[in-house]
Amino acid sequence: MDERLNALAQRATSELAGATTLEAVEGLRVKYFGRKGELSTISGEMRGIAPAERKALGEALNALRGQVEEAIVSARQRLEIGALESELASARIDVTLPGRGVRIGRTHPVTQTLQDASAIFASMGFAVEHGQEIESEYFNFEALNISSDHPSRDMQDTFYVEGASGKPGQEPSMVLRTHTSPGQIRTMLGRRPPVRVIVPGRVYRRDSDQTHSPMFTQIEGLYVDRAVTFAELKGTLGAFCIAMFGAGTRTRFRPSYFPFTEPSAEVDISCVFCAGRGCRVCKDTGWIEILGSGMVHPNVFRHVAYEPSEVTGFAFGMGVERIAMLRYGIDDLRTLFENDHRFVAQF
Amino acid sequence: MRVSTSWLREYCDFPDATTLASRLTMAGLEVEAVERQAQKFERIVAARVEAIAPHPSADKLARVRVSIGDAHVDVVCGATNFKVGDLVALAKVGSRPPGTNKVIAAAEVRGVVSEGMLCSPKELGVSADALGLLILEPTTVPGTPLTQVLGLDDTILTLNVTPNRGDALSHLGVAREVATLFHSPIRLPSSDIPASPPATDTVIGARREDPRRCWRYALRAVEGIRVEPSPLWMQRRLEACGMRAISNVVDITNYVMLETGQPLHAFDLDKIQGAALEVRNARPGETLTTLDGVTRTLVVDDLLIADSQGPLVIAGVMGGARAEVTAATTRIVIESACFDPVAVRRASKRHGLPTESARRFERGVSVSTTLWALDRAAALMAELAHGKVRTGVVDLAPVARDRRVIRLTTSSVRRLLGIEVSTAECARILVSLGFSDEGSDAQGTSFGVPDARSDVAIEEDLIEEVARVRGYDAIPAQPLRGFYRLEAIAGRGWLADAASQAMRGQGFDEAVNFSFVAPAQLQAFEATAGAIKVSNPMSVEMSVMRTTLLPSLVANIARAVRHHASGVRFFELARTYHRSDDAQPGKPVVERLRLAAALWGLRARERHWLDPTAVSDFYDAKAAVEAVLQAVRAPPVRWEPREDARFHPRSSTAIVIGKTLVGSLGEIHPRAAIALRAPRGIYALELDLDALAPFALDLPRAVAVQRFPSVLRDLAVVVDEAVSAEELRQVILDEGKPLVVEASVFDVYRGPQLGEGKKNLAFALTYASPDRTLTDEEVAAAHSRIVAEVVRRAGAMLRT
Repeated sequence: MDERLNALAQRATSELAGATTLEAVEGLRVKYFGRKGELSTISGEMRGIAPAERKALGEALNALRGQVEEAIVSARQRLEIGALESELASARIDVTLPGRGVRIGRTHPVTQTLQDASAIFASMGFAVEHGQEIESEYFNFEALNISSDHPSRDMQDTFYVEGASGKPGQEPSMVLRTHTSPGQIRTMLGRRPPVRVIVPGRVYRRDSDQTHSPMFTQIEGLYVDRAVTFAELKGTLGAFCIAMFGAGTRTRFRPSYFPFTEPSAEVDISCVFCAGRGCRVCKDTGWIEILGSGMVHPNVFRHVAYEPSEVTGFAFGMGVERIAMLRYGIDDLRTLFENDHRFVAQF
Repeated sequence: MRVSTSWLREYCDFPDATTLASRLTMAGLEVEAVERQAQKFERIVAARVEAIAPHPSADKLARVRVSIGDAHVDVVCGATNFKVGDLVALAKVGSRPPGTNKVIAAAEVRGVVSEGMLCSPKELGVSADALGLLILEPTTVPGTPLTQVLGLDDTILTLNVTPNRGDALSHLGVAREVATLFHSPIRLPSSDIPASPPATDTVIGARREDPRRCWRYALRAVEGIRVEPSPLWMQRRLEACGMRAISNVVDITNYVMLETGQPLHAFDLDKIQGAALEVRNARPGETLTTLDGVTRTLVVDDLLIADSQGPLVIAGVMGGARAEVTAATTRIVIESACFDPVAVRRASKRHGLPTESARRFERGVSVSTTLWALDRAAALMAELAHGKVRTGVVDLAPVARDRRVIRLTTSSVRRLLGIEVSTAECARILVSLGFSDEGSDAQGTSFGVPDARSDVAIEEDLIEEVARVRGYDAIPAQPLRGFYRLEAIAGRGWLADAASQAMRGQGFDEAVNFSFVAPAQLQAFEATAGAIKVSNPMSVEMSVMRTTLLPSLVANIARAVRHHASGVRFFELARTYHRSDDAQPGKPVVERLRLAAALWGLRARERHWLDPTAVSDFYDAKAAVEAVLQAVRAPPVRWEPREDARFHPRSSTAIVIGKTLVGSLGEIHPRAAIALRAPRGIYALELDLDALAPFALDLPRAVAVQRFPSVLRDLAVVVDEAVSAEELRQVILDEGKPLVVEASVFDVYRGPQLGEGKKNLAFALTYASPDRTLTDEEVAAAHSRIVAEVVRRAGAMLRT
C-alpha cells in the first residue's frame, strides 16, 4: 500500500509539474481529489483494512493528500505568475485614442464677461436687480430726465412695441428699453436709501453695423447714500477697471453729457493692447472708452421721491459686448450674435 | 463739428493744436480726430512759368518749363489761362493733390516726359474751379510750399459735441471755451456796417403767427449784390469745416453760422411775393420744393417762412427753390432768427433733413446772438459781395423771459465732488465762460446764466462747469466706503447659473440670440398667440418679440448644418415676452425667464471611434432636462404626453411638477422643421425657469445614508408596448412599500419571440430597511407579492 501511495505521489507531482494551463491543473485536482478521484478511491478501500493498520495508513494518506495539495497550489502559482508575466509583456493599448467622456459646453463670451463683471461688483457690495426689457416710455426716458423732444433722444434710437391691446395708440407707449437705466428708477421706487445695485441685461437700439447691434447687453450701476461724491465714483470705477482689465490699468474721466447725471463723465481705460503707447485699436490715443457715468441728477431723485438735499449718488453704465470684444480680441460685434457653432465652441 | 485752429486763433490764444485737442477732450468737448492740412499738400510748391512750347503731337497740350527756385521742371499741361512769368502750383512727383485722389508719377504724355502736374484750384481741393490753373500772387517766391503760400497750414479738429452743448457748435463758442481753459482774452470779429437809406422795413416786413414757436425774427436788406465765387480764404475755411462753397452770398451765410452758431438764410428779395415774410404753421395740403429738389408735402406742425404766394422755407431746416439766390440775384434779404428747438427738431426728423442749420436750432440758438450775427453777415456782404446794406432791421423781438440766476456754494461743490474749490476759482471759471457774477457772500456766489447756455439750469450744472474746466483729474479717487447691507443670494440668479452649468455639462454651447424674430418663425411653431409686435422694426426678420426661444435655436442648428457641422448642441437663457391675459394697468407685458436647448446630429459632435454613428435623440434631450432638474434639486416631475404644436406628437412630453407645467421637450415638429428649412431630427427642450423657481431648492437637507445592507433583486415582465416603464415602476414602488426603496429600469427588450407590440421590461429593485438587516425570507415574500401584483396589473392592461 505504501508503495502504491508513493507511486501515486510521484505521478501526481510530476503531472502537476508538467501542467501548462490552469484548466489542466483543475483537471488533475478533480482526478485526485474529486468524488471519484484516486484519493477518494483509496479512502474507500480503507474500510476493508484492519483497524490496527488503518491508523498508519490514514496518516500516510493524509501526508499524501497534503503533498498533492501543495503541488496543486504551486502549479497554480507557477501558471498565474506566468500568465501575469505574459500579460505584462503583451502589446500596449493605443493610449492616443480620444477618451469616452462628454464634451463640456461653453459659455457665450458675452455671458462670461457679464458674470465676471457682476462678480466684481458683487464683491463691492452691489446687489443685482433685473428690471424689465419691455418698458414704458416714462421709465425709459421721462423719469431719467429725458424729455420727449430733447435731442439726446437721438443718442438712442428707440424700438416701440404695440401695447397690451395690440392696437397702437391705445395705451401709453411701450418701448424695448434702450438702456438698463430704468432699472435705477424701479430700484429706487422699491426701497429707501442707501441703495447699491447693478442691473445687468439686454437692451435695444435701432442701429446695426460693425459696431452697433439692435440688441446688446449693458450693466447699470447705482449707489445712493448720504454724501456720495464724485471722488467715490472715481475710486469705485477705477477699482472695477483694475479688477476687470488687470493690474496697471489706468482710468481717465472725461466730462460728457447724460441727461440723468450731473456732472457726467465718460471713462476711458489705458489701451489693453498697447498699454497706452498707441495702436490701431485705440486709434493711437492710448485710451479706450469703456463706460459712461456721473452723479445722479436731482430731477431723477425727484421722480422717485428721494430728497436731493439729503442724498447724493452716482450711476454708471457699460456695454458688455465692447468689453467682451476687447477681452477676447473680437473685431466685429455682429459675430457675437450669429451663434456660429464654431465661434461659441472656442471659448 | 469741424474746427479750424487757424480760424480759432483769430479769437483766442492757445499753444499748439495737440495741447489744445487734449485739453478740450478733458474739458468735455471730445476731439475725435486731428487732421493736419499740410500733410495733404506735401511736395506741392509754387513755380514760375519760364517757357511754354507747343506739344509736338497734341494740339491741346503744351510743354511747360517751370522754375522752383533751385531747379527746373518740365511738365505737359492742358490749361491755357497762364503766360510766361505767372506763378502757378506744381504738384511734384510723389505728391497727392487733395482734389485728385491720385499720386503724381513721372509720365510720358504722347512721347513727351512730364515730371509733375500744374494744378487747378479743383485739383488742389481748394475750390470747385476747374477751368484753368490756380494763378498765385506775383510776389510769391518759387519753390515755397503751397501750404505757406495759401495759408493752408491749418489743423482741423473734429469735435464730438454732446447734445447739451449747442453753444459749442461754432468757432466763437469753442473760442469761449478755449479762452477759459488757457486763460486767454477773447477777440470778437467786426460787425460794423456802412448802412444807407432807405430802411430795411420800408423794403420788406415780417409777421409771426406764434411767438412760442419763433422766439425772434430779424431781417436786413442788402442791394447791389454781385453774385460770384467767394474769396479763396473763405472757400477754404468752409471746406475745411466740411461745407461746400457755392457763391459769395450763400458762403457768407454759412461762414457766419460756423463763426457764431447762428444759422442764417438769404432770400432773393425780388422773388418774394407781397410786402412781408410770415412765420407760420403750414396749412393742410401745402407743398414745398426744397433746395435738394424734393417736393415735400407739409403737415400743419411744420413751421414755415412764407410770402403771399405760399411756403418759401421750412423754418430752420431747409430753404425752397422759389426764392433761392442765383447768379442773377442783385437784392437780397438776410434772415437771422431763433426758432423753437422742438419745432425745428420735429420738422427735421419728419422730413429726414438733419441739416447743419437744424442741428444748431435743435440744440438751442441764443436770442442774444440774432442781431449780432445778422449785422456780421451784412458787413461781409458789403465787403465781399459789393452789397449796399439798408439802414435798420426788421426785428420781431423775443418774448421777455426771466434771467436765470443760480447760486453756487462751496459746500455744494464739496458735497458733490468731494473736494474744495474756492469761491474765487469758481467765479473765474464761470465768468470766463460768459456767466455774470451777481454778487457773493461768505458761503457762495450767484451767477447769471448766459442765453447761449440753455443747458444750465441748476446748481449741479454750475458744479459740472467748474469740475470740467479744472479737469476731472483734479478730483482724487476715493475708495468706495464699506457696505452695511448684504443682500441674500436669491432670485433668478442662482437658478440660471445652475441651469447653465448643467447644460454645459451635457455638452451644450451657449447661444445669445436676438429677442425679436420673424413672424414666420413663430408661426411655424403656432406660437403667435399673445406675441408682441415691434412697431418700428429694423426688418421683418426682427419684428416680433419671442414667445418661445425655440425658433432661434432651430435657426442656430440649421445654420450649423449648412456649415457642415455633424453634431451640434446649443442652449440659450433668455426671456420670452407675452401680452398679459388680464391686462393690468401699467403691467401689460409679462416677461418669463426661460432655458431652451436644441440638439442635432452626432452625439459626440464629431464621429467618435467608439461609436462613430451614435446620434442624439429624445433621450439626450431628456438627459439634459434631468441634469437641470437635478442641478436645481427639483422634486420628481411627471412626463405627460401633451398636445404641443412645437413638437412631434409621437416623441415629445410635457414636464409637470404638481399642477405646474414647467416645460416641454421632444423632437421638433416635422412641419415646423420644413417651414424653417431646418433638418429633421432636431430635438429640443424649453423650461420656464420662473415656473420652476418655486420648486427649486438651493440648500438640500442632509439625509443619513443607509446603515444596514440592502438586497438587490431583478424583476422582468413582458408587457404591451403602450405600458410605460414609469407606470410599472410606480406599481413596484407602491406594492413594495416600505421595503423597496428604489426601482429602476435596466433593460428594454423587443424580439420576435415576444410577439408584435410587446416588450420586456427589466427592473432592478433595492430592498432595505433603516433599522435592521432584512432576512432572505422577508425579501423573497415581498418580491413574489410584487411580481404577482405587477403581472396582475400589467395583465389587466394587456387585455385592453
